[in-house]
Amino acid sequence: MSSLAKTRLQTERKGWRKDHPHGFVAKPRTARDGSVDLLNWDCKIPGKAGTLWEKGLYPIRLEFTEDYPSKPPKVSFPAGFFHPNVYPSGKVCLSILNEDKGWKPSITVKQILVGVQELLDNPNNADAAQEAAYKLFKKSGAEYAKRVRIEAAKYTEAPAGFVAGGGATGAEDDVIVL
Amino acid sequence: MAPEMSDVELAKSSKVLMVGAGGIGCELLKTLVLSGFEDIEMIDLDTIDVSNLNRQFLFRKRHVGMSKAKVARETVLKFRPDARIVAHHGNVKDSSFDVDFVRTFDVVLNGLDNLEARKHVNRLCLAAEVPLIESGTTGYLGQVTAHVRGRTACFECNPKPVPKSHPICTLRDTPDKPIHCVVYAADLLFPRLFSADPNAKSDLDEEDAVELSAFTRSPGESPESFAVRVYDYVFRTKIERLLAKEEMWADEKRKKPTPLPAFTELVPEGPTAAAHGTDGLNGDGNNSNNTMTSTACKALGLRDAHAAWTDADAARVFVSSFARIVARDESDGNHGTDKFDKDDALAVEFVAATAALRSANYGIERKSLFDAKGMAGNIVHAVATTNAIVGGLIVIEALKVLRQRKAGGDAGGVATPVPCAPCPYRYTFVKQHKSNSRLLEPMEPDPPNKSCVVCGAARVELVCDVESMTLGRLIDEVLKKKLGMNAPEVNAPETILYEQDDGLDDDEIEQYAKNCKSTLANLPAGGVRHNTALRVSDFTQKFEFDLIVTHRPGDEWDDEEDPDGYVLRGDSVSAESNENNAANGENNEENGAVAEDVDDCLIVDDEDEIKAATATAGTKRKRDDDDDDNDGGGRGDAKEIRIE
Ligand SMILES: [Zn+2]
Repeated sequence: MSSLAKTRLQTERKGWRKDHPHGFVAKPRTARDGSVDLLNWDCKIPGKAGTLWEKGLYPIRLEFTEDYPSKPPKVSFPAGFFHPNVYPSGKVCLSILNEDKGWKPSITVKQILVGVQELLDNPNNADAAQEAAYKLFKKSGAEYAKRVRIEAAKYTEAPAGFVAGGGATGAEDDVIVL
Repeated sequence: MAPEMSDVELAKSSKVLMVGAGGIGCELLKTLVLSGFEDIEMIDLDTIDVSNLNRQFLFRKRHVGMSKAKVARETVLKFRPDARIVAHHGNVKDSSFDVDFVRTFDVVLNGLDNLEARKHVNRLCLAAEVPLIESGTTGYLGQVTAHVRGRTACFECNPKPVPKSHPICTLRDTPDKPIHCVVYAADLLFPRLFSADPNAKSDLDEEDAVELSAFTRSPGESPESFAVRVYDYVFRTKIERLLAKEEMWADEKRKKPTPLPAFTELVPEGPTAAAHGTDGLNGDGNNSNNTMTSTACKALGLRDAHAAWTDADAARVFVSSFARIVARDESDGNHGTDKFDKDDALAVEFVAATAALRSANYGIERKSLFDAKGMAGNIVHAVATTNAIVGGLIVIEALKVLRQRKAGGDAGGVATPVPCAPCPYRYTFVKQHKSNSRLLEPMEPDPPNKSCVVCGAARVELVCDVESMTLGRLIDEVLKKKLGMNAPEVNAPETILYEQDDGLDDDEIEQYAKNCKSTLANLPAGGVRHNTALRVSDFTQKFEFDLIVTHRPGDEWDDEEDPDGYVLRGDSVSAESNENNAANGENNEENGAVAEDVDDCLIVDDEDEIKAATATAGTKRKRDDDDDDNDGGGRGDAKEIRIE
């Protein structure tokens, strides 16, 4: 019989198909044998309109374990992603993903992705995860903005591309780290 | 009801299954046979190890390497030659130990050490409707819980506390407990320094670390010079840089760290002497590597594993164990050491030293080598007395369950206590420190959790030949036509087999079309086989249940009796009622009584829906909430889903 983690992820999948925020993508991977890998999801988060991150569509990977939903998934951007709260490996530092802080088993995939979208434009330097973005953010708003636009440009793709798997940016290939 | 049986009579007339013949298992088997139990089967996968002998008292040194279950049986037969004990040296998850096997027992007793097997047995017991007594011990702590379907929570009704993992930010930048320092050392610093994977990207690789090549050995650099460079970066430079991020320390609850003195200040004899200790020195570092054969502690004369080191000694052990690991990896052909291993003495020294120095940075209580090893390796020392107490408690709960079961008549189902009678079962916790002057704390069992995905859903059994039944036929003929489902979706334990097209990507639609053409046995992720539980749902009908597949090979079907080549039946309470597939819709009283006690809300709801669906088989129906009572409200038949 299915594990609690997988049963919950099947429910998450159903919930997502029924209703999800516009422009977001969230999908468990398909293995070569045609089975669905429920523990590994490839997702995409659009940058919010009116922010430095707009127009970009950012690849995010959610890695669940059999301890989900007692434990949060590991959420990562491609390695080296420029943001004060993203670790060098690409892992996201966010309170709702932290067992000691905000994680609750009731948090859904949708809430995680919306939370990460929110984080893009609201970095928190008190919990800096990488030096480069931390320093630039602190040093100069203009330079930080310029650097973010460069980052966003890496993940800008034609709108038609993101429905099927074929429209992946080159950057997506970098997701598989760790 | 017959006059009450004595406990011994009850024990004599019962057949029990024990899963696990280890620490708890030895105690349990002894207590069972001494309490009068005579008919016992046990399963254990393990063989006897020397380290078991101090508490698994049915085993002796000469038994090392032999099957635990078999040796336990032989030892017990020596003092209870009349007992009928069957020992299985095997994995309880093997398909030979299926629902039909479990159904032959009056109660199942678990003495297992891993969560996965315990969940598996829970599910087998639920499907077979056999009560389960579950147990566990950790050092001085232990617990015994009774699980009776419909009466108490199942083993998985409530999430199990899982050991906490520590968020990377706490480990890397803001530790405040000894365990944070130990985990930083074992899980972050150790693999970063010693793993041979050139592509490993670690969260320690911040911009400054990359600029300084802080974790990479320079060409020609001696192991101890490299070690000192890492010491200076990790315990000094990095701490200073963190302190410079004043936003991080704005919150007063965060205690600011202090950088340690430079290595040479702390250790006057210098890195080379510290690295080698008494292992001898001859000229340059590299040539003397092969003399670094002992552990750092031996070479440095630090003999007490329970003592907390001074900063200077911790720094010596850091450099010395570090240099020894590098030297060892070099002589091994530079394969590196990818992961911390609690049985690797040098790795334990490195972790203990790193944790001690980091504790000094952050003003955290310092742990000894022995404690650090236990923390890093998650070691809890087993206590024989706890196992003995738990073994006894299991027998007490088993007798209560068996008494209820006998009182329920011979229908074979789970016994029904008198309505409103206090529940006789207890969850009992064995504690390390007394509260209310007690070390044993008995509690009322938890009630079933209605939304438990394991025991809360309705169950339907599909008997078919998995080699010829296709997923497409299952969906069209069984789910749509027979059960009146509208838009069914099918999940297997490990994967999704079928979803409605709506909103799917092309590749997904294609995969599901392929699945529909496949036989059940050939589906992805291992296929659907005997005893596979599918989860079937229909969002449009708010309808969900478990479909348990039972394989019956094609040549065993009688075309006249079962022209469809498959049979659907409720996962009924008793094996007998399954005999008769030509359902007549009548419900026998015993089963009615049995169902009475079953938590009605969720189960009855769903099963009523199944019946409602059956009633209109062949036509699509729109469900509305009112047709729940179309069977006259009798809950008695809730467990008996009969489908023609
Ligand atoms: Zn349950």
